[in-house]
Amino acid sequence: MIFISILIPVFTGLILLLSPEWKNRKLLCAFTTAALLLSVSAVGITLSVTGDKEAVTLFNLTQSLPILFKIDGVGRFFAVLTGAVWVLAAIYSFVYMGHEQKEKCYYGFYLLSYAVLIGLDFSGNLITFYLFYELMSLLTLPLVLHSETKEATMAGLKYLFFSLAGAYMVLFGLFILNRFGNTLTFTAGGVLDLTLIQGKEGLLLAAAFLMLLGFGVKAGMFPLHAWLPTAHPVAPAPASGVLSGIIVKCGILGVVRTVYYLFGVGFLRGTWVQQVWLVLILLTVLLGSMMAYREKVLKKRLAYSTVSQVAYILFGLAMMQPGSFVGAFLHIGAHAFMKCGLFLIAGVIIFKTGRTKVDELAGIGREMPVTMVCYTLLSLSLIGIPPFAGFVSKWYLGMGSVLAEAPVFDVLGPAVLLVSALLTAGYLLPLSIRGFLPGEETAGIKVEKQEPSMLMLVPILILTILITIGGLFPDQIIEFVSRIVGTLFKEVLGG
Amino acid sequence: MGANLFANFGEAVAMVLFGIGFTNLLLQKNLIKKIIGLNIMDSAIYLFLAEKGYIEGRTAPIVVDGIQSVEAYINPVPSGLVLTGIVVSVSVTALMLSLTIRLYRRYHTLDLDEISALLKKEGK
Amino acid sequence: MAFIQNFPFFSIIISLFSGAISSILNGRAARVLNRIVIIVVAVLSAVTLFYTWGTGTSYVFWMGHFPAPFGNEIRAGVLEAGMAVFFCLVMLLSLWGGREHLEEEIEGSKQNYYYILTNLLLCSLLALLYTNDLFTAYVFVEINTISACGLIMIRQNGRTIEAAVRYMIMSLLGSGMLLMGLCMLYDLTGHLLMSNIQEAVAILHASGEYKIPLTVTIGLMTVGLAIKSALFPFHTWVPDAYGYSTASSAAILSSLVSKGYIFLLIKIIYRVIGFETFHDTKIVNVLFVFGLAGMIFGSLSAIKEDDIRRMIAFSSVAQIGYIYMGIGMGTRAGMVAAIFHIFSHAATKALLFIAGVGLTDASGDNVRFIPLTGAAYRNKIAGVAFAAGSLSMVGMPLLSGFISKLLFAQAAVQNQGKLLPALIVLALSTILNAIYFIKTVIRIYTPVQSDFAGRRIKTQVLFAVSSVLLVVLNLYLGCMSQFLVDLIEKGLGMFA
Repeated sequence: MIFISILIPVFTGLILLLSPEWKNRKLLCAFTTAALLLSVSAVGITLSVTGDKEAVTLFNLTQSLPILFKIDGVGRFFAVLTGAVWVLAAIYSFVYMGHEQKEKCYYGFYLLSYAVLIGLDFSGNLITFYLFYELMSLLTLPLVLHSETKEATMAGLKYLFFSLAGAYMVLFGLFILNRFGNTLTFTAGGVLDLTLIQGKEGLLLAAAFLMLLGFGVKAGMFPLHAWLPTAHPVAPAPASGVLSGIIVKCGILGVVRTVYYLFGVGFLRGTWVQQVWLVLILLTVLLGSMMAYREKVLKKRLAYSTVSQVAYILFGLAMMQPGSFVGAFLHIGAHAFMKCGLFLIAGVIIFKTGRTKVDELAGIGREMPVTMVCYTLLSLSLIGIPPFAGFVSKWYLGMGSVLAEAPVFDVLGPAVLLVSALLTAGYLLPLSIRGFLPGEETAGIKVEKQEPSMLMLVPILILTILITIGGLFPDQIIEFVSRIVGTLFKEVLGG
Repeated sequence: MGANLFANFGEAVAMVLFGIGFTNLLLQKNLIKKIIGLNIMDSAIYLFLAEKGYIEGRTAPIVVDGIQSVEAYINPVPSGLVLTGIVVSVSVTALMLSLTIRLYRRYHTLDLDEISALLKKEGK
Repeated sequence: MAFIQNFPFFSIIISLFSGAISSILNGRAARVLNRIVIIVVAVLSAVTLFYTWGTGTSYVFWMGHFPAPFGNEIRAGVLEAGMAVFFCLVMLLSLWGGREHLEEEIEGSKQNYYYILTNLLLCSLLALLYTNDLFTAYVFVEINTISACGLIMIRQNGRTIEAAVRYMIMSLLGSGMLLMGLCMLYDLTGHLLMSNIQEAVAILHASGEYKIPLTVTIGLMTVGLAIKSALFPFHTWVPDAYGYSTASSAAILSSLVSKGYIFLLIKIIYRVIGFETFHDTKIVNVLFVFGLAGMIFGSLSAIKEDDIRRMIAFSSVAQIGYIYMGIGMGTRAGMVAAIFHIFSHAATKALLFIAGVGLTDASGDNVRFIPLTGAAYRNKIAGVAFAAGSLSMVGMPLLSGFISKLLFAQAAVQNQGKLLPALIVLALSTILNAIYFIKTVIRIYTPVQSDFAGRRIKTQVLFAVSSVLLVVLNLYLGCMSQFLVDLIEKGLGMFA
């Protein structure tokens, strides 16, 4: 079942890529929708029928290195998230991509990326994970490169080099873990062989740090975040939506796997790795917010905001506490929906009006009220105001870190989060305010209603509603995450 | 040291020649001089082999006058090696010379650096 | 003695004679003969491989039934036979892939010369693999050099002749040093057969006599072979020789000829000097350092290069650096990784040269980067093949390059002293590799309205077949490497 769910999008994607130009746009859209729905339902079935313990080996690279698939709680969480965002962004694309060239190519790679992401979520060991991680970098590249301008090419190259550099840092860790671990299969609590690592702790910590940095590249962690604000604005809006919503989260998935499933919390907690990592993360939170505050181009502003918000998640993970872990996971979900929605809205604005700068958007609220209401709600959630999902996740993040036994950081962390939340309000809300209340200079101008078509509006609405529901009734998700936490923090909870 | 050097006088000369040949092959710009260096280097090796293979007072291993004692002759293998080596070096030298002639016909110079410069100018 | 034991000798002699016969055939017949010979040799070697795999030991074949220490010997084990099969495969595929080009670039009346040279090259490579006699090895090294020189200059223009001269000069320096080294070794031990020398060297080493001459000898032979296989900093001839010769030649030269010398070096290390003795001389460390330097500087030069063929050539320098790094680790695991990389690099580099020429064909024979833009759309198979080769070089899982990197890293992790430099340089050079290969892949996949856009060249069947087969070979090495690793382990076991 796992293979089928990966193979369906691969095949359909390849069909799209290899087939000659499709004359009929509707047919193309229908085909993509069908393929996507089919694969999402396949994933759904896989999730429901496959148990946590089942592991499927595809084949062995070398004797000790199998390509292995396994579905656990973390994988489920990411798979569901990916599926949801992917379908919504696809629906949106059908209209948005109407004015772009080479749709067929776009949908082909879109489906392939989906397959790779599912593979990534289901990976059972580090080798498999690395394989899909590299594939993901390569396959999402065409999405960034789509417009084929010089700017896009340069951004694509930058994206690729950062990704590859990150991947090689991971590879370094892989080599060392392969020697000092019992296995490379993800195991809750870590795989290190305690007798082998005696006296080699320094080396292993260095490897762990490199892996965290490497995955941090994808997650946009300072100082390797530079690709994010370059790559996002040039990609088509739905592509930047999924980039920011999901691809960036794959870095997070890597970090989760590294910290909680390979090295183990017990090994890393309280070491210099955790401390340096935390410092970097907090810097990222602040810098991201500040850069976003200064940025004039809406999509770039959102990209910087991603840098800062994803660092929240990393912060939750880096505290290595049950509470903050829950917060981090909630924020993964919340941020995926919020940021995807915001990028889609930015796309709508570009699509309808062609304006990219924030300053040009005064009065936009009168032109497209529904869209801007959604924008405002999503922004409020991102800032962390109840009753939206963003509030719940940040609450857990904050509480978790206050309770943590990490000196300095238990105070500094929440403080930074608060400052950054203020900045977030500072860079997101002016657009709403100026949008609805443009002031006097535009008061006399007659505005035309420019609401986008239903297909574009519906995904945005759904995302907004999901965020609200998530904020009002988060119990189910929290319970689910807590179960994952239960397997990971045995030593904390049990004794 | 001095006595050793004197006893192995031939070998020492061979080594010096090898060095001379090697540097010439490596550093000379003129192709013909390079080839001469190559030949000096190879000859030095043959000198070394022949010198090592010769034992004072013995003759080439061809049975004459019915003397069959091993003591009377030298080991034929080093001489065989020298012969084989000469064949190889002759063919290599021939190849190098023919290449040199071709280059000279095209570029009217034997200086390898000049030829490279001309090739760059040709831009192909 | 089983009949099969004659096969290594047969394969050498068949390729030698077919070279002679080719001289009186016309181009077409020579080509057919050449293909038949390669296939026959491959089959013979495969049978030898199965035989030695079955018996689990290597065997020695006395030429003319003179027992050691008088006769000349051939020695066949799993590794030699496996290498021979692989060399034949890569050679066949390289010749297929570059065939159309070959026929354009070489005058019709001279085409049979090309096949004389390839047959001779095959013969000398096989002899290098199988021989158990040092002086025979030297003679075939020279034959190899001469035929390789012929392969470079068969495409007649100023560039190739100059490249051939440069190649010859460096090679002759190398073989001069090799010859000097082995003459001194002969002088020290009194033997020419590898096994006998090894015994004598072991005694010398144990007694501590002639320590300096022995080190000098080993140094001379190692450096000589290193020069010939283009280890940095002796690589100056590489870009010209690979960059301007015809595609098949470049593929064969970089994936087979230099590998033959490296194999001879490995053989000398294990079978002549003895691994322990070699290790004690510290020459391994020198090789290690130069290997690392090669990995970095080869890649740096490749990044600066604006000519796709020369870029691939410089990347060879970096890859040779990898192999020497593996040898320089001074451990069994390092050696296994190095030999695996010989296989993997041979498959990948042949693929890249063949695919590269397909791309330049589609761009009006232009090797610069700008005209190559979008070439992958004009020649789709070449594009895919080049991308696959590049990804393998960059170390993408599922392709052979990844496995060799993995093996290198595993070897490095076991070696405390060399762990950090090896891993850091490995990572650095991988990133550098990624820079120039991915840059090229993106360039060839960037669509553009070029002058050649309409000129979609008709797909050449042989080219397509050989590219696809090379990609498959690469995938095979990447996915099912265990067999090959076992083979190498077993073969090394037979060496010692």
